[in-house]
Amino acid sequence: MLPVSDFKIQKKNNFNLIGKIKVRVIVIIGSLVAFSFFAQLVFANNIATDGQKLAQIQNEIKKLESENTTLKVKIAQESSLATLTQKAQELNFRRPSKIITP
Amino acid sequence: MDRIKVFQIIIYVVAFFVIARLFYWQFIAKVEGTFESIISDSFLPAPRGEIYDLSNFPLVTNQEAFLIYGKPHDLDQNPEEVAKTVAPYLISEKYATKSAGLSEDEQKKKDEEIKAKEEELIKRLSDKNLFWVQLGRKLPKDVKEEIEAKKIRGLGFEPDQKRFYPEASMAAQLLGFVAFDKIGQDTGYWGLEGYYDRKLRGKPGRLGQETDPLGFPILVGKYRPIASQKGASLYLTLDRVVQFIVEEKLKQAVEKYGAKEATVIIAQPQTGSILSMATYPTYNPDLFLEFDESLYKNPAVADTFEPGSIFKVVAMSAALDLSIVQPTTRCDVCSGPRQIGGYEISTWNKKYYPNSTMTEVIEHSDNVGMTFVSGKLGIDKFYDYINKFGFGRRTGIDLEEESTGFLREKKDWKTIDLATASFGQGIAVTPIQMVQAVSTIANKGRLVSPHIVAKIASSDKEEKINSKEERQVISPKTAAQITEMMVNAVENGEAKAFAPKGYRIAGKTGTAQIPVSGHYDPNKTIASFVGFAPADDPKFVMLVRFTEPTSSPFGSETAAPTFFAIAKELFNYWAIPPDENK
Repeated sequence: MLPVSDFKIQKKNNFNLIGKIKVRVIVIIGSLVAFSFFAQLVFANNIATDGQKLAQIQNEIKKLESENTTLKVKIAQESSLATLTQKAQELNFRRPSKIITP
Repeated sequence: MDRIKVFQIIIYVVAFFVIARLFYWQFIAKVEGTFESIISDSFLPAPRGEIYDLSNFPLVTNQEAFLIYGKPHDLDQNPEEVAKTVAPYLISEKYATKSAGLSEDEQKKKDEEIKAKEEELIKRLSDKNLFWVQLGRKLPKDVKEEIEAKKIRGLGFEPDQKRFYPEASMAAQLLGFVAFDKIGQDTGYWGLEGYYDRKLRGKPGRLGQETDPLGFPILVGKYRPIASQKGASLYLTLDRVVQFIVEEKLKQAVEKYGAKEATVIIAQPQTGSILSMATYPTYNPDLFLEFDESLYKNPAVADTFEPGSIFKVVAMSAALDLSIVQPTTRCDVCSGPRQIGGYEISTWNKKYYPNSTMTEVIEHSDNVGMTFVSGKLGIDKFYDYINKFGFGRRTGIDLEEESTGFLREKKDWKTIDLATASFGQGIAVTPIQMVQAVSTIANKGRLVSPHIVAKIASSDKEEKINSKEERQVISPKTAAQITEMMVNAVENGEAKAFAPKGYRIAGKTGTAQIPVSGHYDPNKTIASFVGFAPADDPKFVMLVRFTEPTSSPFGSETAAPTFFAIAKELFNYWAIPPDENK
């Protein structure tokens, strides 16, 4: 049989060990939770920014498509036969009178 | 209990309530309906396919345009003020495009239209039961920008593309136009827009995505885009330069000859490709509502007419093909008018040529000579050849409004019908049928049905369009014989003075009186000329048709000169040199 003093020391040691484990678990869980919160915050922030970027890209695409359509129309208008004939008249172009073949 | 513990408990309780509340919103309440405001389920319109000519130049393309709408609840001005500001922009484009230089009458009509539009807008914007009202469609970009500059809260715009015609009214009847159907969707009507509407219109898409209150998409949210598919584009056999030349000449000719209407078709006989199809008067497809509806249809395929003497080449081809006559066969009934079935058949100028050859019958456009030919042919054989040449049914050209012409049942034909049909009376054909028949002669007797679209191309596939029908109708020998007869008709016939020198052109004039209430009106004619050139290696077949020319009723004095004027330009354009020895 152990002397009373030894029993008390052993009990105290056991309590210290359990306490240490509990603290570690709490610290780990706490760290995980804190990390998760932080990660979520980072991801949420990124996603929010990406959504904004996506909206910007979509707007840019729309703008470019619109400009493309406008330019296509302008090119077609400028190269139409009605426009070319008018310009040819202004520049005093003449119709060819002879056919020259190679 | 110390203060720290009390504080801890408060934090736990608050955290619990926050988590419990979030849990409730997320999993229990589901917040039905509220999410709709942040799920944008937008309609993605499909751009309509374009229409290109032979050189890939867009004859019809799309331009940016906008739908304008109003939200009656959000307006920061009263409806009367908004209507007054916006109405002038929403009236007919004919006033918008020429704001300056309006005549007094036009200005009055414009003011009336603005007033009517104002009343309409006030009525729409005053209806507070409506969240969204459409105010106008297909507004040009510059008009949209002008309205935006007025900074009226409660007005908005949506993309609403519209058709653009770089060559304005060129080939309008052939192209057709786009208008709204019963539910406000763009739909093609008439011509190619009508015939190929389902191919051109494409498939609209939808964009379903969750957005935050600022309107930015939430990437972890539901994202269900269905991309819109642009409509297929049409690549035509039509050459815009040829079309331009034809329309220019046609306009001048109609004015010169005082005709009611004129049509020209130019085709490539070997492929059936339509190079030009023009009608005057025409309309502007961009402002189609401003024109009479009767102008929408394409007379080149929809009109039926008695062909008159141009049909003689069909009857003669049939007789030559069956070896019933030869080019040198002499007509033994051509010395004067002929009585058939109680009717007198005479020539157009009352001149008669006894013992003329078949070549001369065509040269003189001799009706009596043709009765000699048809008499030898008989109803059965002649009728069969009329069918073989494709009359009495559609050619199958890819245009919406093609008609069949009119050919009576064979059993109803009498001797007089056989006689009159041989010179193109008593039957009704369409201009395109006539071109198909003469193309057959030009193509060594082989019929190739006409078509206008060469290729249909979408983002993922390309489809080549060929002629629907191809078959031998007359022998190459017969085709060569009738070609020589037609060349002789040009070189020695009534219109020889107009023919360009140095070219062998095969052709035939036609003048048909118009039947009105059971008899022929002597003052109203359809003057025509059909032919091809160069006769030995034809590059084109052309039909010129005038309705009711007033300067002269005859094809030789109206249609033939126009044919030759266009042919000269085409020889130049295609660099076909004249034969100096001719």
